[in-house]
Amino acid sequence: MKVSDNYAIVTRNVTKTYKSKIRGPERRASLFQSKRTVTAIDHLNMEIRKGELFGLLGRNGAGKTTLVKVLCTLLPPDEGTASVNGFDVVKQQMQVKRSIGTIFSVGERGFFWRLTGYGNLEFYASIYNVPRHGRKERIMSVLDLVGMKDNAFQVFQKYSGGMKRKLALARALLPDPPILLLDEPTTGLDVVSSRSIRDFIRNDLSRKAGKTVLYTTHYIEEAAHICDKIAILQRGHIIALNTPAALKRMAKTSDVLDIIAKNMSQAQVEALKGVDGVDSLAADVQDAVLGQTHLRLRLENLDALPGIFNFLFKEKIKIVNFKQEEPTLEDAFIELTGMGISE
Amino acid sequence: MLQELDKIYFFMKRDVLSFSTYKTNILLSVLSALFGALSYAFLGANAQMQSVLNTYHINFTTYLLIGIAFNTYLSQSLTLVQKTINPWSLEEVLVSPTGLVTFIVGSSMWGFIWSTLVIAIYLAVGVFAFGVVLSVNIVGTVLVVALGIATFIGFSMIGAGILILTKQGDPITTIITIATNLFGNVLFPPQVMPQALQVISYFVPQYYFFTTIRQVLTGAALQTILPDLLVLILMCAVILPLGYFVYSWCLRTAKKNGTLSWF
Repeated sequence: MKVSDNYAIVTRNVTKTYKSKIRGPERRASLFQSKRTVTAIDHLNMEIRKGELFGLLGRNGAGKTTLVKVLCTLLPPDEGTASVNGFDVVKQQMQVKRSIGTIFSVGERGFFWRLTGYGNLEFYASIYNVPRHGRKERIMSVLDLVGMKDNAFQVFQKYSGGMKRKLALARALLPDPPILLLDEPTTGLDVVSSRSIRDFIRNDLSRKAGKTVLYTTHYIEEAAHICDKIAILQRGHIIALNTPAALKRMAKTSDVLDIIAKNMSQAQVEALKGVDGVDSLAADVQDAVLGQTHLRLRLENLDALPGIFNFLFKEKIKIVNFKQEEPTLEDAFIELTGMGISE
Repeated sequence: MLQELDKIYFFMKRDVLSFSTYKTNILLSVLSALFGALSYAFLGANAQMQSVLNTYHINFTTYLLIGIAFNTYLSQSLTLVQKTINPWSLEEVLVSPTGLVTFIVGSSMWGFIWSTLVIAIYLAVGVFAFGVVLSVNIVGTVLVVALGIATFIGFSMIGAGILILTKQGDPITTIITIATNLFGNVLFPPQVMPQALQVISYFVPQYYFFTTIRQVLTGAALQTILPDLLVLILMCAVILPLGYFVYSWCLRTAKKNGTLSWF
């Protein structure tokens, strides 16, 4: 596979299928067939530029973890080719392994609970070929990077969930790899720990150190917040790939206006629905004591605005606040996949 | 090469540090070895087995203690590769630039060091409390032990390979353990069994291992044990590469099927 020097990760028609046991009523219906083939990744084509923070967004079972495992050589693809740092994931496994740092979705896996954080990293530093000379400094340096230096000599089993994830991140950084494959690195963490890890990945690893990061997540706003580009994965296919802003624009099929109005009667709400250019209107009580109503108007286009404000002024309705609502990445996700991320 | 030795050292250090935190277990293991040695030594000292004296020219205590002590090496080797298939850490180690051989050797080093301590306890009880006389042929002992371990690592790799695919239950470990106890010349010489069963002993490597290890520990020269040693070498030359082939194939198949960490 010929790969441009600009790309850190390239996949061409990568397909991965699993055999899965048929259980329950379906099993009884198919007496002669005990297994079915499940396609986890289906002819997937993807290119990630060097230094890019690339988000892979999808529901559980979309194929995110399978793709990470293919890229880190744990799973050979059934069809197609994939390269990491210019090396083929099947034919040049050792070179691929030397180019990557990986976090799997269960972050505390692979750690030895009776050892300290430092002891764990010392073991991984040796098997990741971190030179013996300067190894101690390297371990302390990555612990410092992830904010774990003060807990280095605490036993792993006493770490909190956030600390375990941070140690997993430190482990991935030990060999100073140019490429990081991070499979749901914030799953199960509290808001503060998640933000701290996200900010570290974006600011320190991506922006300052220039590392290429493949970041899988099923948290939409997390992907929107940190990624340069996002691919939306559904049933093993990439159904959209672009910057977060461009993906949001894809969801923008109509303009939405949010208005907080004061002392508005039900009759006035009904009358507003009839103003030219208003496609739909949803109204609910914002604050009963203050008499505030929240209006969400979906418009054909922004030309409808003068008509709406004329109506409100004529009816002497006070406007407390108004804003044009931007579509979110979740709107884009729903529009593209036809379902919410947690459905 | 130095890098691989460094990795093996840190595999061992990891296991020693983890092991050392289980202090009660250490104490119980040492006591178990000590009382096990005493039990077999008393049995050997108060029982007679004429065929042992006739065939190996050593008393029954010496025969039993060497058999039981060195069986710990073989037992350790037999489960060694299975122990490396730790679903908790297998994937994390396999994504590192560490070869399969370093992984297996590194993961097993501490087990062998511990087994050596157990053997030392058994032999010390025999020598200091029951008058067992050893006259160790060091070269012969190292050679026989290395061949025995290598052969059993071959069996272990076959068992581990099957375990990777089936996830539970590997028939190889059970079969080899039965064969060791019944035909392996560990607790009694095969000569005490009916002729038909004796024949089976000559097809299991354990028989040659225990026959030769007793000889080299009681002063036999290499020339004396050469016929049995050659059979052991031949068996090892077949079983070890076969084990590596089966293990690698099963590992590749599990990776292909995506079932590596499904335990």
